[in-house]
Amino acid sequence: METLSTDEIIVERALSGDAEAFGEIVRRWERRIFALTYGILGREEDARDATQETFLAAFRNLRGFRGEAKVSSWLHRIAVNQCLTRQRRAKVRNESALEDSAESDLAATVDESPMSVVEGRQRTVAVRRALNGLPLELRQIVVMKEFEELTFREIAEALELPLSTVKSRLYTGLKQLQLRLEKFGAE
Amino acid sequence: MMKETDNSTCQRAGDLVSVLYGEATESEQREFELHLKQCGNCRAEFAAFTGVREAIGEWRDQALTGFVSSPMVAAPRRKSALAALRQFLDLSPLWMKGAVGFAAVVFCVLVVLVFGRFSSSPREVPIASGNSPAVYTKEDVERAVADALAKQEAVAQKEAVARKEHEQRVIEEVPEPKVIVSSPGAKSSNLAKSTGSPRAPHERRPFSRAEREQLAAELRLVSSSDENDLDPDR
Repeated sequence: METLSTDEIIVERALSGDAEAFGEIVRRWERRIFALTYGILGREEDARDATQETFLAAFRNLRGFRGEAKVSSWLHRIAVNQCLTRQRRAKVRNESALEDSAESDLAATVDESPMSVVEGRQRTVAVRRALNGLPLELRQIVVMKEFEELTFREIAEALELPLSTVKSRLYTGLKQLQLRLEKFGAE
Repeated sequence: MMKETDNSTCQRAGDLVSVLYGEATESEQREFELHLKQCGNCRAEFAAFTGVREAIGEWRDQALTGFVSSPMVAAPRRKSALAALRQFLDLSPLWMKGAVGFAAVVFCVLVVLVFGRFSSSPREVPIASGNSPAVYTKEDVERAVADALAKQEAVAQKEAVARKEHEQRVIEEVPEPKVIVSSPGAKSSNLAKSTGSPRAPHERRPFSRAEREQLAAELRLVSSSDENDLDPDR
């Protein structure tokens, strides 16, 4: 794939001392990584921090990138690790990013009076809560599909999983989301 | 523990998600659509998953609309003019490179010419005569014009003085007018006497007032005598 080979060339340039090359990698992948971290963490501030940490970690470990995996898979793995680290820290501090963001979103719905806006907000809060409740293996694939808009093959390559496993996990994830959203709707 | 769920009755989870995300081949899609018509369970799941996707999409759009590039890449370093020019030439075809080179040379020549013209010491506009290569400054021209005007004025003054003196002399030399009662034959001699001048006979000078009056009187006398000569009754 041309994009991937170009990514590898850019990484090589960065390794050979081109100061602008890594910035190009960041510009190329920043939005996708943000989508991934946002999908996993569910809060914009956390997602922004996790995205920045992802690229900092990638820059620090640039020499460790041997070109065996694609740049996108490498960045994806770093981003997921960053998200997990953040969630672990949040649990230790007994914080719930999800609850915070849900509360702030519900507070916003009070300010915005039209019923349609309120319903829309409630729905997005419900989706976020449902997604955050999914196990990481399922959530990761749903986010990669819905937020990063990767193909099944790209997800399989990035996660080093068989194509059939990716499809079945996505099916399971959607099924669980459907059940959770029905439950939130009934509340 | 995660449970890898599959639609228990049909075992077509893979086909369902492939069609749902538009990644099924044409034949797979056609075949699954036929299946959907017969299977209520899959039809219900397909509709429910479509709803879930819409809800996720709504949230995603809200989240990513406000996405702003992080500060570490928001303001990429500006390239220098030289680097930009190099990049432009790298991307340009050969004829474009040639055209740019030619334009640059022409521009440099023009700049040198213009700079040379304006940076040198200001010179007076040369004024050359038709047959002389001599070049005069503005001061020279003004001086020459002033000299010529002074000369002309001096000549005019001299002429005016000479004319005045001459007129004075003429007035002094003119004799008192005489009453002429001579015959017509003596006319010319009297006229000659009356208009006598020290100058040579061929030099004519303008008549003075006295001369003109005398001449007019003589002419009147002549005409009356002529008329008497012609009258047959006399």
